[in-house]
Amino acid sequence: MLNLISFDASPLGALGQLSLLAALAFTLGGTWLAALGGLKADARATEAARRAVWAVFALVSLSTLTLMAALLGDDFSVRYVAEHSMRASPTWIKVTSLWGALEGSILLWAWLLAGYAFILSLTLRRDALRPWALAAMYASLLFFVGICATVASPFTPLAQIPADGRGPNPALQNHWMMAVHPVLLYLGFVGLAVPFAYAVAALVTGRLSDHWVVVTRRWTLTAWALLTAAIVAGGWWSYETLGWGGYWAWDPVENASFIPWLLATAFLHSIQIQERRGLMRSWNVWLIVLAYASTVLGTFLNRSGIVQSVHAFAGGPVGPVFLGFLAFLLVAGIGLAAWRAPHLRDEGEPPAALSREGAFLAGNWLFLVFAVMVLVGTLFPTIVEAVQGRRDTSVGPAFYNAFAIPLGLGLLLMMGVGPLLPWRRAEGQGLWRALRPLLLAGAGAAVIAYAFGIRGVGVLATVGLSAYNVVGLGLLTGRALRASRASGRGGVVGLVREQPRRYGAYLAHVGLVVMALGIAFSSAYRQDAQVTLNVGAAPTKLLNESVALQTIRPVQQPYGRSIVAQVLIDEELFEARLNTYVQGGDTLFATPAVRYGLLGDTYLVVTAFDPGGKWASVRLIESPLVSWIWWGTLIVVLGAGLTLVTPRRAPARAPALQAAPATD
Amino acid sequence: MTVPNPLPQARRRKKNPLPTVLGVLALVGLTAFLAFGNLGKSLEYFVTPTEYVQQRAELEGRPLRIGGLVKAVQYNPQTLDLRFNVTDGSASFPVQYTGAVSDLFKEDQGVVVRGEFQGDTFHASELVVKHSEEYNVPQTQAELKDLLRQAE
Repeated sequence: MLNLISFDASPLGALGQLSLLAALAFTLGGTWLAALGGLKADARATEAARRAVWAVFALVSLSTLTLMAALLGDDFSVRYVAEHSMRASPTWIKVTSLWGALEGSILLWAWLLAGYAFILSLTLRRDALRPWALAAMYASLLFFVGICATVASPFTPLAQIPADGRGPNPALQNHWMMAVHPVLLYLGFVGLAVPFAYAVAALVTGRLSDHWVVVTRRWTLTAWALLTAAIVAGGWWSYETLGWGGYWAWDPVENASFIPWLLATAFLHSIQIQERRGLMRSWNVWLIVLAYASTVLGTFLNRSGIVQSVHAFAGGPVGPVFLGFLAFLLVAGIGLAAWRAPHLRDEGEPPAALSREGAFLAGNWLFLVFAVMVLVGTLFPTIVEAVQGRRDTSVGPAFYNAFAIPLGLGLLLMMGVGPLLPWRRAEGQGLWRALRPLLLAGAGAAVIAYAFGIRGVGVLATVGLSAYNVVGLGLLTGRALRASRASGRGGVVGLVREQPRRYGAYLAHVGLVVMALGIAFSSAYRQDAQVTLNVGAAPTKLLNESVALQTIRPVQQPYGRSIVAQVLIDEELFEARLNTYVQGGDTLFATPAVRYGLLGDTYLVVTAFDPGGKWASVRLIESPLVSWIWWGTLIVVLGAGLTLVTPRRAPARAPALQAAPATD
Repeated sequence: MTVPNPLPQARRRKKNPLPTVLGVLALVGLTAFLAFGNLGKSLEYFVTPTEYVQQRAELEGRPLRIGGLVKAVQYNPQTLDLRFNVTDGSASFPVQYTGAVSDLFKEDQGVVVRGEFQGDTFHASELVVKHSEEYNVPQTQAELKDLLRQAE
């Protein structure tokens, strides 16, 4: 029997646990009320379910705040605090410890989910979808609040209260990005619960008109933008703290966040076909079910320990519970979709190949193949172990690069064609005329890049496709600008204010082009060299730089010890550190010194040092255009934000947008 | 937008299923091709020296991770040249690596190196486990692997 509450040992622990149990009770009640409201068309039951969400949110907030208070107040009578925090940590580390380990991160997830459910409860329209969308949100809440209150409770009492905690994982203390990345990631993951809930509601009620898609577009976009930012923030963290000068290693947990991103991106595009043309209704339902299920799959892989990964937390009962929830989501989603499939009726003819929806569909297939391949690579070692009994195989980056590069280039290709093509059908001749400038620009850019000495086929293709995309978007914008001027309306600002959705999408595409260039150049032209430097010796030539070690000295910190190496690289001072943490034993954690530049970064890591202070071994990495990935992401997120802006004058053809300002 | 229940069954439209079928087939084919064409080559096995001796014909020249205890360390910090032997008690192989190693790398420590065999020498591209705090001499191959896996 789980020992859930103990009042004498820990007041804060009891408060947190009680509020979780109360939240669970409200969740159970709310689930029942929402289902009742849907089945009996009982508006009062639905209303009660809607208000129960407020109680759930308040109670989960209370327990999250309790845990935060316990962390900040060093209350080691709370189990999670004793196991993952310590007195000596700086305050911001104590704050991030809330999601630095298993139980806290699930509590954060539950809290964000309750927060989304709360916002949803305020914006839900009084229609037939309302009780079922609530019920589906409750189903997710039931799972997350349920495991927080039971098998993964951070509040279960301790037998003995220690004088000091064990402290946070040293690897998570190295960079402030650790405060940002997990929260963004969960905001992105959890945000997909809302479109999923609407899809379920649409399936259950059979109201499979395009309403649910229109309502959930903003939710999906917000979640998608947060997920994009989160994935890149994770890459930046890896770049800043792991000391290998890279940002992406196809680690199973990175893949676990990438699969939902691919599916959500596909969904964002295919719902536009449904909105505009009434097509792909069942496709969209499947996509969102899979996207949401893949967030749970990711968490399962992360938490179960079945896949080897640098991020994997130790096992425990949480993994199987996640697997059960995943199975439930898949069975319920697929069952519902299969049951309603005969009613999912598309209007009009299927998409023509040469049309915008045709391009979107092709892009969708590419995203889907990409997601399936990443999934295959991630699970393959587990499958090999199950089938062949051969343990500890792993899939190297070579496998992923073999398909990620062609698929990525294919996506860049479709991304340029899509906005250019008209809806419904493009004539062959018109298409060629429209495409010609893009192809010329792409070929021209590739030739120029070749002349500048770039020989990698993938990089040349990326450069060409980038020019092709940018020129395409520029031509479209220029044409719209001329039309707008001709009819006496404003310039660029007016254009954007009239159609923020369109120009937001353009901006996001430009951001992706910038990212693609950053990824292509930084991975193809990265240079890496190691050397041992002696204090006071003449500068050494390394990767076109002159490198000299000035001093190497230990610095005592409250959390451990740092070895600071002061290195002059071309007369500029770099301070790279090697840290040890009290809770990490002798393990060394590098803090690289990075000089960010628009055209390339110089990256220095200390890898070993002489205890006598005479020499240090360093690794120097120069990678071009890395920062374009971070800037590109900023542009993508700004673009996604722009698409959420309500247009100054709503276009006459979309009256639904005006009718529902609260949800759309 | 509220349509009364129950919904009518969708009319069967004569729809050409060929594009869908072709799409699915292409997807499955491409996935299978990429997965099984490449995966075999890019799969990386984790072996102990004894296992390598047993499966040498299959494993030579492949990317591998090899795990065992460190013996006979020779390291020159100025040239970053590292040579040592990796052993599991019965079999032993020389390992060659270029790169910085802290003084935590010592005799009888567990290590996992990534790289490939060229002849009898293992050319390592990466030291995966640099050290572990509490190291006990493992009794079986499985125990050795578990230990190394935990350390990793």
